[in-house]
Amino acid sequence: MGRFGLLPLLVLPAVAVNLLTFLWPMLNLAGLSFREGMPGGGIGTDFTMATWRDLLADEFYLEILLRSVGVSLTITGFALLAGYPLAFFVHRSDARWRNLLVVACISPLLISAVVRTYGWLVILGDRGFAPSLLRGIGIDPPRLVFNMTGVIIGLVEILMPYMILSLLAGFGKLNQTLEEAAASLGAPPLTVFWRIVLPLTLPGILLGCLLTFVLTISSFITPKLLGGGRVLLLATEIYDNAIVTLNWPLAAALSLIALGVFGAAMVVYGRIARAAERAIA
Amino acid sequence: MAAEAAPPHLELHGLEKRFGATRAVQALSLSVGKGELIGLLGPSGCGKTTTLRMIGGLMPATDGRIIVAGRDVTALPPHRRDMGIVFQNYALFPHMDVAQNLSFGLEMRKIPADERQQRVQRALAMVRLEAFAARKPRELSGGQQQRVALARALVIEPSILLLDEPLSNLDANLREEMRNEIRDIQQRLGITAVFVTHDQAEALAICDRIAVMRAGVLEQLGTPFEIYERPANEFVAGFVGRVNRAAGHRGADGRLLLGDVVLQGTGHAGAGPVTIMIRPHRIRLTDTPPEGIGWNSATGTVTRRTFVGDLLSIEVALGPASLLVEQHTFAGAVVAGPGDAVRLAWRAEDTLVFPASPAGVFPAPPAGVFPA
Amino acid sequence: MIRSGPGRYLFLALVALLFLFLLGPVLLVFPISFSADSFIAWPPSGWSMKWYAAMLEQPTLGVALRNSLILGSIVTVLALAIALPAAVALSRGTFPGRDAIMAGLTAPLLLPTIVLGLALLIIFVGQGLIGSWPGLILAHLLITVPYALRVLVTTLGTLPASVEEAASSLGAPALQVFFRITLPLMTPGLIAAAAIVFLVSFDEVVITLFIVGPHLTTLPVALFRYVESRTDPLVAAVSVMMVLFTLTLVVVLERAVGLRRAIGGKAG
Repeated sequence: MGRFGLLPLLVLPAVAVNLLTFLWPMLNLAGLSFREGMPGGGIGTDFTMATWRDLLADEFYLEILLRSVGVSLTITGFALLAGYPLAFFVHRSDARWRNLLVVACISPLLISAVVRTYGWLVILGDRGFAPSLLRGIGIDPPRLVFNMTGVIIGLVEILMPYMILSLLAGFGKLNQTLEEAAASLGAPPLTVFWRIVLPLTLPGILLGCLLTFVLTISSFITPKLLGGGRVLLLATEIYDNAIVTLNWPLAAALSLIALGVFGAAMVVYGRIARAAERAIA
Repeated sequence: MAAEAAPPHLELHGLEKRFGATRAVQALSLSVGKGELIGLLGPSGCGKTTTLRMIGGLMPATDGRIIVAGRDVTALPPHRRDMGIVFQNYALFPHMDVAQNLSFGLEMRKIPADERQQRVQRALAMVRLEAFAARKPRELSGGQQQRVALARALVIEPSILLLDEPLSNLDANLREEMRNEIRDIQQRLGITAVFVTHDQAEALAICDRIAVMRAGVLEQLGTPFEIYERPANEFVAGFVGRVNRAAGHRGADGRLLLGDVVLQGTGHAGAGPVTIMIRPHRIRLTDTPPEGIGWNSATGTVTRRTFVGDLLSIEVALGPASLLVEQHTFAGAVVAGPGDAVRLAWRAEDTLVFPASPAGVFPAPPAGVFPA
Repeated sequence: MIRSGPGRYLFLALVALLFLFLLGPVLLVFPISFSADSFIAWPPSGWSMKWYAAMLEQPTLGVALRNSLILGSIVTVLALAIALPAAVALSRGTFPGRDAIMAGLTAPLLLPTIVLGLALLIIFVGQGLIGSWPGLILAHLLITVPYALRVLVTTLGTLPASVEEAASSLGAPALQVFFRITLPLMTPGLIAAAAIVFLVSFDEVVITLFIVGPHLTTLPVALFRYVESRTDPLVAAVSVMMVLFTLTLVVVLERAVGLRRAIGGKAG
């Protein structure tokens, strides 16, 4: 298509938006972490490692980082456990119902995280649905909101659709005749699952886990509302430093750490996915 | 075949297409007479479709020139080449009905509305689809879509018609019917046409001349008769029609040997290892072989016999070679079964001799016969 | 895998439970919105419409809703206008750096929104864009253009190239091919892209939270602020309205995809 010499120019508006709202702000953000935050929101003008030094020396932030990663892994695990049976059911269901079920699984994505988090307040709140249900059967309900429990329950549900979507994409390779073949060769159902179904759906599982993990690391609305300010994670800390204490260099440095966790997650995913691919193919 | 004598209407001069280091089409030169239907025939990946796309302007040529009626069109974009193209998947516009599809090219040529309508009607009548003008492409059968694609390419009265595997998406019966229809219309309009196909029967049936291609190289250009009876090399002989292939030897004295049987053959005369090719239906099983100049005969043992309706397919071991013989089933035919000794006879001119191909370049199929 | 016996019923029960878990939060918002209590309690002591009435008397939320709708509409138009040419260039052109440009243009989707929001905040403060319409529009373009681009590039990728080549061989110059053939065939993709862009913009909270000002806020941000300070059934009423609005949009989208049949298929 050499004759369309002007065609590449059509990307310019999109590139301009990207430079203006993405590349420039991100580079600026990286640079900002090498400045010093002054009391009251001022920012030093000199290049300094002070922000990074303080951040890395403070055990509080290490704790936050470890907690964030730990919580994200926990949520990823629960989302997988909850998402897998659903995805399997949807994949196996009749073609007539499958579309409807897929829509049911992913429609929560179309609804604002604020609304869905509020829904969890309705369920988990001290006088909410779940505690009253527990009281009804004679159990004294534990506190379910404004602590880590609430954040984990809420995020598992909120991120589950991503997990299900990834799993469904990975289920494409699964063919019922393979299971029938394994069964005909004498494998009991559980063996069929471990030896046939699980390996074949592994790529989808890995993708879903990566997606859920990084989305948990960056999620902010749900920890803020269901944690009630008592669950401190990387994302909430970035927000508080940016908006409340106005320490932008610190917020910038924490952002870069979050990006680092993202990068590490992708590298780990890439390694495992390649190994899995080799094992299957 | 009067078309052969006509002055060239389409000329390719040293046409070349390279993708990186791959030469998809190599220095292809070829001229097509006015009103001639020329077939580009070859296995997939031989460069035939690439050649067609370069002629149509859908792909720039790396090198060489394309001349239409004396005018160099090599650098022209497709919309200024005035060629009608029938695509393999038809490429009908799904959001337009049949009449709109046909009318599109006329609109691009700024033909006034009333004339447009007349020409669309005429084109629809030509392919017998008058009743389908308001249908959307997806409401048509494969054969109907094919005819719309043909009509759409022809309604603009292009200087050249390009057909890219136009029949490959049709089932066998329809394919034969459509190829005759394409041929009829092409002859009626007297339009110059280039027809790309991998199906040798299709090419033999309707083309004035056939260009056999392999790996970007033109192997032979000739009439269907020449291609079939006088293949230029082992590849052409193997690709067009079914053929037995056996390793033989020609001595320094010029004697042609298949095992220890002395044969008369045509073609390569040089001494050394040779490949001998004989078409299965040209071999006769006979108790009284014709004697003398012009005939070969030999005795072999039947190893297998397969009844395929109108044909008996008989495999005969002959020295080191195994020959397939096809015999029409008719009363009085020699019926031999496995283990029987039989006499074979075939004409010297049906015994094609080529220099033995280097190993690996052209591997022999297992049964010694190339599938049709 | 599980085809018979009690195992199958256990599996079905598990699936039902998980579906309830997944859809519960959205479903329970509906009954709570009719609560007569002034705090969240289950079961409500009585039923009333008072929170819907309260919603109408809430000026902040009304203005925020209006802002969100205006913002979503502007962003939809702009995002498509920016993404469509880029999608055409990226899927039809062959020029050096094409893949890198595509990767760069969709990169914002890979990064945490909280980081993007912070980065924008810092730049926008310097440019006086905080709490302004241009600021909000730019911020939403950052995350909606990549979505639009992705959908449109996919749409263009599934259009058979031979249809465009056919038009070209019939004498249509490049622009004619685009407007007569490519664009009409892209209609379902364009509608899908528009719907996704609008929904993303309409639901976006995190980045917007950094960009809004005291005099200009969006509905999700106003709702977030409200839930942060107190939890009463008013939010449930608003949520119900938002869910219904989203549902309407999805149905419209479904109709639009049904439109594909009208464009590509049955005549009469």
